[in-house]
Amino acid sequence: MISGAAGRSALGIRLGGSVWLFLGPALLLMLAAYLAPLFDTTIVSLHPNRPTGIDRDSWTIANYLRLLDTYYGEVLLRTLRVSLLITLFSVLLAYPVGVWLAGLGPRGQAWAILVYMSPWFVNAVVKSFGWTLILGNRGLVNRGLQSLGLIDSPLRLMLNETGIVIGLLPGHFLFVLLPLWAALKGLDGNLRWAAMTLGARPWQVFLRVTVPLTLPALLAGAIINFTMNMAAFAAPALLGGTRTRVLSFIAYQVNLEELNWPFGGALAVAMLVVTLGFVMVAQGLTRGGLGGGRR
Amino acid sequence: MRRLLTLFNLLMVAYVVAPIVLVVWMSFTPTMLFEVPIRSFSLRWYEELFSYDAFIDSAWLSLRLGLISALAATALGFLAAYGLVRGRPPGAGALLGLFTAPLIVPAVVYGIAMLQFTNLVGLYGAFPALVAAHVVIVLPFAVRTLLASLEGQGPELEWAAMSLGARRRHAVLLVTLPLCLRGMVSAFLFCFLISFSEVTVTLFMAGPAHQTLPVRIFNYVSDRIDPTMAAVSALVVLVSVALVLVLNRLGALAAVRK
Repeated sequence: MISGAAGRSALGIRLGGSVWLFLGPALLLMLAAYLAPLFDTTIVSLHPNRPTGIDRDSWTIANYLRLLDTYYGEVLLRTLRVSLLITLFSVLLAYPVGVWLAGLGPRGQAWAILVYMSPWFVNAVVKSFGWTLILGNRGLVNRGLQSLGLIDSPLRLMLNETGIVIGLLPGHFLFVLLPLWAALKGLDGNLRWAAMTLGARPWQVFLRVTVPLTLPALLAGAIINFTMNMAAFAAPALLGGTRTRVLSFIAYQVNLEELNWPFGGALAVAMLVVTLGFVMVAQGLTRGGLGGGRR
Repeated sequence: MRRLLTLFNLLMVAYVVAPIVLVVWMSFTPTMLFEVPIRSFSLRWYEELFSYDAFIDSAWLSLRLGLISALAATALGFLAAYGLVRGRPPGAGALLGLFTAPLIVPAVVYGIAMLQFTNLVGLYGAFPALVAAHVVIVLPFAVRTLLASLEGQGPELEWAAMSLGARRRHAVLLVTLPLCLRGMVSAFLFCFLISFSEVTVTLFMAGPAHQTLPVRIFNYVSDRIDPTMAAVSALVVLVSVALVLVLNRLGALAAVRK
């Protein structure tokens, strides 16, 4: 009598080589419509751009060196500053939210997490439009403050870095919140009990037990959050205005307005490499393969 | 302490949902200005909306694109997830990494790559190219949802069918697929939701002829603030929220949380 793996193989139950019939279609799509375009852009970024078009016969790294120009350096610094600020605020806000969430009942947690996830599901353009209604010169905040007599002239809340930070934070917050929430739920309650019975006060338990044990998850989330901030396009474009341009918008201008694809390609490749580097660090921190979400 | 936390969270929730709520609210007010409390209710922006042909076209395009790419991604995603779970091919981890890479690689990067590549192969502005891009973008959600669905049920029923003489394709179609129905529906709706709200890649690669609803709104909002925009945006929000609630009910959102 045959049994186990051998039996399944004899019955043709094991997939064997025909596994590629199942994986094939998706694999072909990813090769043709994902890896090939990314590869092409990498190649294009290594060619010089001439008035007649891309010179595919000669090779250069000048497109990458141009990223170091003062103008682009300034844009890069602004992008880094805005992204870091959002990550910093997300991290500071994550504990009060995560601790509160973890203390709710299962149904309460499910609904609360859904609400915190909702900005991620709603289109960035629509959300930005909502923010212009709130932050604009005649928006909700300025009209409210003016009618209370607190300010004379409207505060400048958008078309600057403030607007980008306020507008991007809600949608990217959950990349910090979700890993932290999972870590808080997985925390062994006995450890906190032990600390309390040894005389620790609640804030000491929080600072010396809860925070150190959940820090890797928080950091991993913070890194993902940071890469999302760096790469965001629609919200910074709409809330930053013409003077507050971030890297992704420059990439848009170079590729679609200046039509300088070698340089635009270099911008894309640089963003890709930096993002992948950060994500690898984040995955190393959690070991479980965070993956996160996107956008 | 707990009360203080609750208060903080109420404020935080108000902050994160404020723009969404406001867009919907604005779309029902007769003037562009906020009135508290709301003294009048009007559907005039919605009426105006339906006289804009451009928006009808965009809505139609978004719908078609979403349905086609969600259908294709669900089919490809099911096959791929089945292969990964039942076949355990060498390099399964790397393959899963490839299928879910669009979650990590910035949309701007992929948008630029597709802009340049579609021009290279002469498909710039072509609808099939846009569909291919959307399938790539939503595939991670299909694969993840269906992986969870397939892992949730062992292969025993399939084995039973095959040991009774069914061919694999019959066992997959008649046994496994019906068992994965909830996962298939979830994957389809999820993919539609993501495609429906995609803006960056589409804006980079689609060209002026194919402006989906979000791209149309983006191009409009960059120029001026038009109250009709609030009506379009509110419709987009309502579609998204409805889909999210259904997905939540199906238990499909857990697939993103991991």
